[in-house]
Formats: sequence, structure tokens, C-alpha cells
Amino acid sequence: MRFFLAALEFIADPANWAGPTGIGARLLEHLLYSGLALVLAALIAIPLGLYVGHTGRGRELAVGVSGALRAMPSLGLLTFLAVSMGFGLRLSIIPSTIVLAILAIPPLLANTYAGVEAIDETVVDGARSTGFSEGQIVGQVELPLAAPMIVGGLRSATLQVIATATVSAYLGLGGFGRYILDGLPIRNYALMLAGSLLVMALALVADGLLALLQRAVTTRGVRAATGQSLGPDRGRPREQRATSASTTGAQP
Amino acid sequence: MIRFDHVHKQFPDGTTAVDDFSLVVPSHEVAVLLGSSGCGKTTLMRMVNRMVDPTSGSVWIDDDNVADLDPVPLRRRIGYVMQNAGLLPHRTIADNIATVPLLEGVDKKTARQKADELLQLVGMSTSTADRYPSQLSGGQRQRVGVARALAADPNILLMDEPFGAVDPLVRRDLQSWLLEIQAHLAKTILFVTHDVDEAFLLGDQVLVLREGAEIAQQGTPDEILDHPADDFVRTFVGIDLPSRRRRR
Amino acid sequence: MNWLSSNLDQVLRLTLNHLAMAIPPIVISLLLSIPLGWVAHRNRVARQLLLTGSGILYALPSLPLFVLLPIIIATKILDPLNVVVALSLYGLALMVRTATEAFDSVSAEVRDSATALGHSMGQRFWRVDLPLAGPPLLAGLRVVSASTLSLVSVGALVGVPSLGYFFTDGYTRSFLLEIGVGIIGTVLLAVIFDVAIQLGGRLFMPWLRATDTRRARR
Repeated sequence: MRFFLAALEFIADPANWAGPTGIGARLLEHLLYSGLALVLAALIAIPLGLYVGHTGRGRELAVGVSGALRAMPSLGLLTFLAVSMGFGLRLSIIPSTIVLAILAIPPLLANTYAGVEAIDETVVDGARSTGFSEGQIVGQVELPLAAPMIVGGLRSATLQVIATATVSAYLGLGGFGRYILDGLPIRNYALMLAGSLLVMALALVADGLLALLQRAVTTRGVRAATGQSLGPDRGRPREQRATSASTTGAQP
Repeated sequence: MIRFDHVHKQFPDGTTAVDDFSLVVPSHEVAVLLGSSGCGKTTLMRMVNRMVDPTSGSVWIDDDNVADLDPVPLRRRIGYVMQNAGLLPHRTIADNIATVPLLEGVDKKTARQKADELLQLVGMSTSTADRYPSQLSGGQRQRVGVARALAADPNILLMDEPFGAVDPLVRRDLQSWLLEIQAHLAKTILFVTHDVDEAFLLGDQVLVLREGAEIAQQGTPDEILDHPADDFVRTFVGIDLPSRRRRR
Repeated sequence: MNWLSSNLDQVLRLTLNHLAMAIPPIVISLLLSIPLGWVAHRNRVARQLLLTGSGILYALPSLPLFVLLPIIIATKILDPLNVVVALSLYGLALMVRTATEAFDSVSAEVRDSATALGHSMGQRFWRVDLPLAGPPLLAGLRVVSASTLSLVSVGALVGVPSLGYFFTDGYTRSFLLEIGVGIIGTVLLAVIFDVAIQLGGRLFMPWLRATDTRRARR
């Protein structure tokens, strides 16, 4: 309890928010590392997922690669890349971004192709026979209908990336992980706890915001079709829900 | 006019869906492909708008071999109605009806006007224009499906079991409604069904198909009922059934 | 490779440490998720509580959890128990949701006909619901297994020994081989566990072999 109060005191003290090592700066660093990796992962995983979902090609490969990426221990990959890249020890943000992106790709990829695959086949068939080109089918039919699930994938990816960005501090980077790793050798448990609470708060806030986004991208027509049920499953077809575990993964 | 010239279709898995099929559907007529599921009738129909390409043989629309036409514009000038309507769940009824005009780049306002006109043509209130497909009944969705098919003012309509998923009473309504609008639209219609009554009610000519889309008999409904070609046709159309006798 | 042969003892010891911290969370999360998922599947209020709870729990990053737990359960910060408890909570968060959805996915018709044939509630659970919920449970367990094995190594950052020690030690010494051994060891364990879980699944759900055909699309 003592540590809790001390940690909360630390967070509540405005003096700890300012300056280059203040909570404000750490927050921005944490957001930067996470955002960079998520953008990179989305640029790779979403087009790939749309391709796999649309054509049905490369599905086995995508499943296999995602599985293999999931088994990779992030801390191991992080240290391995930092040491092996040579410059990685100085420009730690590069190995950090790569590892975080690798973490974010499987849930994004899996949710994107599963979201496309879950679309009623007659809808796509109807669009094609009405004269949508393949590109128009992807852009105007599959992407909007899969959007809630893609954002669902983004939610899991974001949780994992924000969590793991903590570990990036081990390479000497900033972010909230600093407080945890700096507090450890000097046994400043209050500081470590403050860092932990900040990461958790950030994760919960980000997840909440993405839940709102997920709601927003669920179009009215689809919402009308799936009823008024609330909750994180909104917009996800039932058969997909049972496999949601396969779309989430490890997060340190 | 639609013309099938010795078409043959074998799927990659080796099954033959269509084996040497030829047919001419004259303009402004309704030809019905009647057969049980899996006989290849849908495959045949989908060759017209190149949703399926024949392994050999050719399909002609007037003087054009469809194989020489770009499938996307081809599909936009052929109306297609399918069993579950295949409407886009994330678009309003108006946008669904105006799908092709919107794809062709018509402005929103003109598209909306067109959609309203078509809603009236298919006997629906324009108040449904801003609703979504999931908010309509099955019968209403099929009407919207027909409206969407008519939006580009096509000469040809392909109808794949369009009333197969609605309940019998509504189906009756939709059938007589289709006859009504066809009386003044006079489209060239290729209609696929497994419902014998529906085939005889709607078809100017009916083709009874066996497996592999082999034509068991072709003719007007009266010809088939009066002179069934063989036992297969006799059994399939149920000539010996009391209900059939009563109907005539 | 010299390093490996002269450090084989340490590799073995850390592998055992790793397993000792990874196996309990995997087993606990499976065993507890089944009754919890069943309750959530049957009861609306329980469902809201359990799914919201596991959603929040899942959003908690594990490294901070390793730090937080000693304060809550009054263990020492270096105690492996922290890692076990944290990862069990984690696995549970994932598995409760999976189990709930797995029970939801059992078709109402099958359940109805089982009741109509005279299964009691208990009989139906053991003979119908649980076996049919098996495949998604298995899929969830595979994810939990892989993520748990990977997360155990993060404990090395707060000084709890596991294969993760090779990551931190190798990093301080800029020694790639050592880090590589740690990665390969972890991945190897993940693969072995995955195969074992799948074999277990085939053993308990022999009908899956008959229906294990991928649906062809387009």
C-alpha cells in the first residue's frame, strides 16, 4: 500500500511531468515507438490480408508465418537485432520498431483476411456480377465490411505493442519502461510501480479509443443486420468470434 | 438475342457441368432453364455475363462474342438478379439500386432520382430508399434486386432462382408482378429455376435440363405438357400429378 | 559452439526453470477457463462481468504486472511465483473469453436434440457441450502456450531466471550466439508444446481427423 501511495504521489506531482525525462516526454516517446511500429505493421499486414482474403491465395502461408512470428520471444529478438545490426546499439529505435511491428503483424493480418473471408459470399458474387471490378470489390465492398474486424485486429496489436514498448527501454530507449528498469537496480519500487501504472493506463485508454473507432467503422447497415448488441464483438460474425483467440497473442 | 454455341464447361476438379449446349434466346423473350440443382443451369447462365467462361464453345449477345468483351462493362449492361438478392449490406437501398450508375460515375443526385423511379417501378414506397437491406423483408429485397438489375436499363436480364428464398405466397406475388412489368419492359430474360410451376408460368420457352445441362426437352409450356419427350420429362414436370392435371 | 557445450548445464537448468514457470499457467488457464466459460455462457450477468474483467486483465502489460504482483500478493520481486501468477491471469483472460465463445458456438439444435434424447444437464455438458467446444478451446490453448513460453523470458528483466537470461546476459556482452541459443530454445519449447497440444487434441477428439478438411474458397 505504501508503494501504491508513493507511486500515485509520483504520478500526481506536476513537477514529474515536465522536462526531457518527465512523464510527458516519456508518454510521447512511448506513443512514438508504438505508433511507428503500428503504422509499419498496418502498411504490411492490411494490404497482405486483403490480398489473401480476396484471392484465397497464400492463406496457409499467412497462417504459418503468423504462427512462427508469435512463437518468437520479443525480448530475444530485440536483443538479437540490436547486437547483430551493429548500429542497432546506437540507433535502438530501429530494432525496437522492427520487433514491435513483427508483434503487431499477426493479429492485423489474421483479422484482415478473416474479416474478408467472413463476408457473405453472395454479397461479393452480387457485386461482381453487377459489374464491380476486382479493385472496386476490394475497396468498396470487402474493406468497409471487414473494417470492424480489421480495427479489432488493430486493438489486439495496439495492446501488445504498447505493452512490449516497455521492454524497449532495455535497449536504452525512453518510454514508460524507463521507470521500471531504472527503478529496479536502486530498489525504487514506487518508481517502478508508477511506470507500471502509467503503461497500464495508456493501454486501457488506447483500447477504449479503438473500441470507439471500431464502433464508428461499423456501418449503419451492418449494425442494423447484427442487432443492437453492445460489446467488443460488435460487427464480428459469430463464427469468427469462436476463433478470436487465434487473433491475439503474446504481450510482455 | 442471346446465343449459346456448343458450349462446354469442365471445372478444374474434373467435373463436367455443361456438355455441348446450344440455344438461342430471341430478343424480348423469356427462356427458362428448368432443372434440379447441380444440373449446370446456373453455370450456363453465368456464362452470359462472363462470371464463368466456357471451356470451349462460345456465347453471343447479338453479334458480339462475349469472350471478346471486357467482363466488367459487360456485366454493367446486363441485369443480374440472384437468389438472395446479393445486396450490399453496408449501403442504403437507394445506393444499392443505383449501384451501376454510381460505378459509372453518375452524380449522387441523379443516381438518387433514378433509384426513386425504380423503387416505384418495382412497386415499393420511396420511403424505403434510406433503409438498409437488413431492414427489409425477403420479398422486398428481391424487388430491390430486380430494381438494381434494371438501373442501367439493360436489354438482358439474368435471373438466377430470384424468388427461390421467399415464402410461397410472396413468390406467387413476385411471379405475377414480374409478368406484369415484363409485359411493358420486354427484356430478353434468361431465367433459372427448379420450380416447375414457376417455369411454365413465366417462360415463353422452357428448357428441361438433365445433368450436364443436357436438354431433355425444349418448347413452349404447352408443347412440353402436351407432348413430354420421355419419362424423365414426364416425371420431372409431374404430368401425372393430380395438381398438374387440375392446373390445366 | 564451444560456448554451448561448456554451458550445457546452465542451458539445461534455465530450460527447467523456464518450464517450471510456463507449465502451471498453461494448465491452470485451461482448467479454470472451462467452468468459468461455461458459467459465462449460461448467465448474462456472469458473462458481462467475466468478459469485461478478462478484457481489462488482457490489456495489462505483463512486465508491469511482474512488478505489481509482489506488492499485491506480498512476494519478493525475484520470486518466480510472480511470473507464474501473472501469466496464469493472462492465460486465463484469454481462455475465459475463448471458452465462452466456444460454448456459444455449439449449435442450439445439437444441444436441443441431446436434451430431447434424455441427457441430464451434467451428461450433456460432458458428452455434448465440452467435446463440441473442444476445437476452439484447443486453438485458444495453442495461443496461450506460445505466448506464455515467450513471456516467461521477460521475467529476466526483473531478474527471474529463465531462458530469457541469455537475452539479457548476451546483450550486455554483445554475444550473439548466447542470445541465439535463448531464442532457439524458446522457439523449440513452443514448437514441442504446440505439437503436444495438437496430439492431445487428436487423442481426445478423434472425430476431428475425419472433419479436418479446409473449406475451399472461390
